[in-house]
Amino acid sequence: MLTIDGSKGEGGGQVLRTALALALVTRTPLRMVNIRAGREKPGLLRQHLTAVKAAEAVGAAEVSGAELGSRELTFEPRALAAGNYHFAVGSAGSATLVLQTVLPALLLAEGPSSLRLEGGTHNPAAPPFDFLAKAFLPLVQRMGPRVEATLERPGFFPAGGGRFRVDVHPAKLQPLDLPERGRVVRRAAVATVSGIPYDVARRELDTVGDILKLRPDELHPDELKRGIGPGNVLRVEVECEHVTEVFTAFGSRGRAAEHVAEEVAREAKQYLDAEVPVGEHLCDQLLLLLALARGGSFRTLPLDGHARTQIDTMAHFLDVKVSTREVSRGVHEVEVRG
Amino acid sequence: MAQKTRGRRTVVLGMLGTSLDTGQGPHRWTKWRPTVAMCQQDDLVVHRLELLHPPSAGLLCATVQADIQQVSPETQVRPTPLDIRDPWNLEETYCALLDYVRTYPFQPEEEDYLVHITTGTHIMQICMFLLVESRHIPGKLIQMTPGTGRDRSGPGTHTLIDLDLSRYDALAARFREEQREGLAFLKAGIDTRNTAFNRLIERIEQVALQSRAPMLLTGPTGAGKSQLARRVFTLKKTRRQVSGPFVDLNCATLRGDAAMSALFGHVKGAFTGALADRPGLLKQAHGGVLFLDEIGELGADEQAMLLRALEDKRFLPVGADKEAESDFQLIAGTNRDLQAEVERGRFREDLLARINLWTFRLPALRERPEDIPPNLQFELEQASQALGTRVTMNKEAQTHFLRFATSAEGRWSGNFRDLNAAVLRMATLASGGRITRDVVEEELERLRAKWQPSTPVAMGSGSDRVSEVLGASLAAELDRFDRVQLEDVLGVCRSARSLSDAGRLLFARSRAQKKSVNDADRLRKYLARFGLGWKDASGRDESFPDDG
Repeated sequence: MLTIDGSKGEGGGQVLRTALALALVTRTPLRMVNIRAGREKPGLLRQHLTAVKAAEAVGAAEVSGAELGSRELTFEPRALAAGNYHFAVGSAGSATLVLQTVLPALLLAEGPSSLRLEGGTHNPAAPPFDFLAKAFLPLVQRMGPRVEATLERPGFFPAGGGRFRVDVHPAKLQPLDLPERGRVVRRAAVATVSGIPYDVARRELDTVGDILKLRPDELHPDELKRGIGPGNVLRVEVECEHVTEVFTAFGSRGRAAEHVAEEVAREAKQYLDAEVPVGEHLCDQLLLLLALARGGSFRTLPLDGHARTQIDTMAHFLDVKVSTREVSRGVHEVEVRG
Repeated sequence: MAQKTRGRRTVVLGMLGTSLDTGQGPHRWTKWRPTVAMCQQDDLVVHRLELLHPPSAGLLCATVQADIQQVSPETQVRPTPLDIRDPWNLEETYCALLDYVRTYPFQPEEEDYLVHITTGTHIMQICMFLLVESRHIPGKLIQMTPGTGRDRSGPGTHTLIDLDLSRYDALAARFREEQREGLAFLKAGIDTRNTAFNRLIERIEQVALQSRAPMLLTGPTGAGKSQLARRVFTLKKTRRQVSGPFVDLNCATLRGDAAMSALFGHVKGAFTGALADRPGLLKQAHGGVLFLDEIGELGADEQAMLLRALEDKRFLPVGADKEAESDFQLIAGTNRDLQAEVERGRFREDLLARINLWTFRLPALRERPEDIPPNLQFELEQASQALGTRVTMNKEAQTHFLRFATSAEGRWSGNFRDLNAAVLRMATLASGGRITRDVVEEELERLRAKWQPSTPVAMGSGSDRVSEVLGASLAAELDRFDRVQLEDVLGVCRSARSLSDAGRLLFARSRAQKKSVNDADRLRKYLARFGLGWKDASGRDESFPDDG
């Protein structure tokens, strides 16, 4: 049984999700110790349990230690079952994080799968649905499998209540090389407001438009009229010839609209200025895909702790070599060879 | 939480907050609603929520239920209408909740119970608290707190409160300290060393503070029964367990008609001389402690009435046609074997059964020789206080006194009464407050004289050390001639400090005539004839340290 020390690296839920995902893909029995050691509330929290339970269902796994506060977990997948799954994760967990845990295995399964996910679709500290649908999944499709994601209803923290479907048609993952992003073909800033004044969206768009020099027709206010919980998300989409990136910031009570806009603009600007194809969040996910495809490369911003942790965790399961080098100031090339 | 095994479910009993949990439009999500927030905690899963609500709050209940379903699909919400007309009325509220809880199918082996006390009226919260504290609900309390600062719009945090106070280290330490103080108090601050005695006091402290049932203190006269009873009362009083007074009576001082009247009171005109109502001691002891010493001396009528008073808390004063009531805790004292008294028809069996639930036998002073030095110190301090001057005893005098006091010669037939009297006499005769060896020597003569009549060792009717030590069958094979002798020898060995000490006493005459040089050896050989060693004969593992 493979033992992973959860306190290494970033030491958070990411290690757990990546390890579960790869344990499913490789059918490797896994024992994880010191889960989230050193955090304010150490051990498994509810959102981590939802990920474990989803992985348990997909892998028909034997699991022990899947309890709140548990710092040790064993996970032994028995069989990888494609099929129809329904995961209701509530608002304490993000449905997109649950998807990240089980998707790699379903991409490589014997047959197609259909997932219904309920809960938070736009939670802080988790990739929002738009990032999955517009940035991440198109790259997956380019590598072979066909994946379609449909948002039926957004769910914001803390009310949750969001819903989306994901249909997966597996195929062998082909290596992917992303040396450059190409020409920027479309830019859009979308400010979503639900149950809060429309003016918030307006102010966010004004600010982000100013900083990123966006044209008026690139600013899109999006007011949700249906009776879902209050929420505010501002995202900037940058569509290029070879890749699309999505940057997101969340409004919360007591936080000025301008601050939300500045946060997302800063991130988008850093990406645009560096002229790389892959941003910080996409980097972590792409690393995993290339490792599963046993080859590929891309250029990105300087690797952060999350990316390093991802590489270290992958090394436990997959015999691939990941090398990084700085090709020019602030531009790093990542190469994966299996 | 770490102890939780998989499959264990968390069940919350909570009241719908008719103000805190309200909200109907989308904006309800910007408001902190404790019952919903409880189901959004990232480190708590509520598997089932028993949501008690007023029948009129059905609509609000439905909204809260739907919202919980959305934020926490793991939670099953079971709304339970609870009709309380006035939720600020303690009696009504408590009754309604108690009825609910009584019929609730608790399964503590499979489920963990939490009682949510953030919502509901203060009276409801108090009632829930009481139900948890009294273990009607086998669980803990859960209290929600709203988030602050940037987390203001989030679900906030929760705190679990375990009312089992012994689980908190700091509190447990304080309880231990209190218990230590209680023990020291029961021992009058005397640092006793006899382990059996210390264990006895520990048990008494535990029973005294946990129970209101009668207590029976047995043991020889002067062993401290009455002092202990008074201290038990004072200990209970400092812990606020009694509200009434301490009333004590030696039943041996009661004779004839006066006995009934003294105990149970009489009404005016009940008999000649009954010029006014007299409440009686039982009535006086209401809410407090009644200590009846020498309870074996009570007459048959008094025994019958006392039994009724214990069982029903009611009794009939002399000449009265209406019963009086009194709720007291009884501590009884006796130096008799009450079981034997029952067999002889002199004590009611049912009364004995009622009072000997907790029987504690106080040992004689001779049985705990290691406690004589600390008690001597205590008596010296008492004497100093009584005489108003500091009385000391020099080391030589003390050693001399203790050697005698702990030897076989120190019979202490009156136990602490004898020790108290001896020290008081020495203190009175000590010039300048210093007890010298001469003063001690003089006192020892007095004590020897006092105890003289009882030597040689009287053969107590009930005492049969021979069969105790040899076993009944071996003892039965002995001639009466040998048996009587051995019985006396064993008696001396029991109270002697050492083999040599016993030998000296047994062969005192020969020794005076210089016929025998080795008393110890002679005794050892005598005992060996019966297959006994010093250990068997004395009943002790080792001889008491000889400080001579």
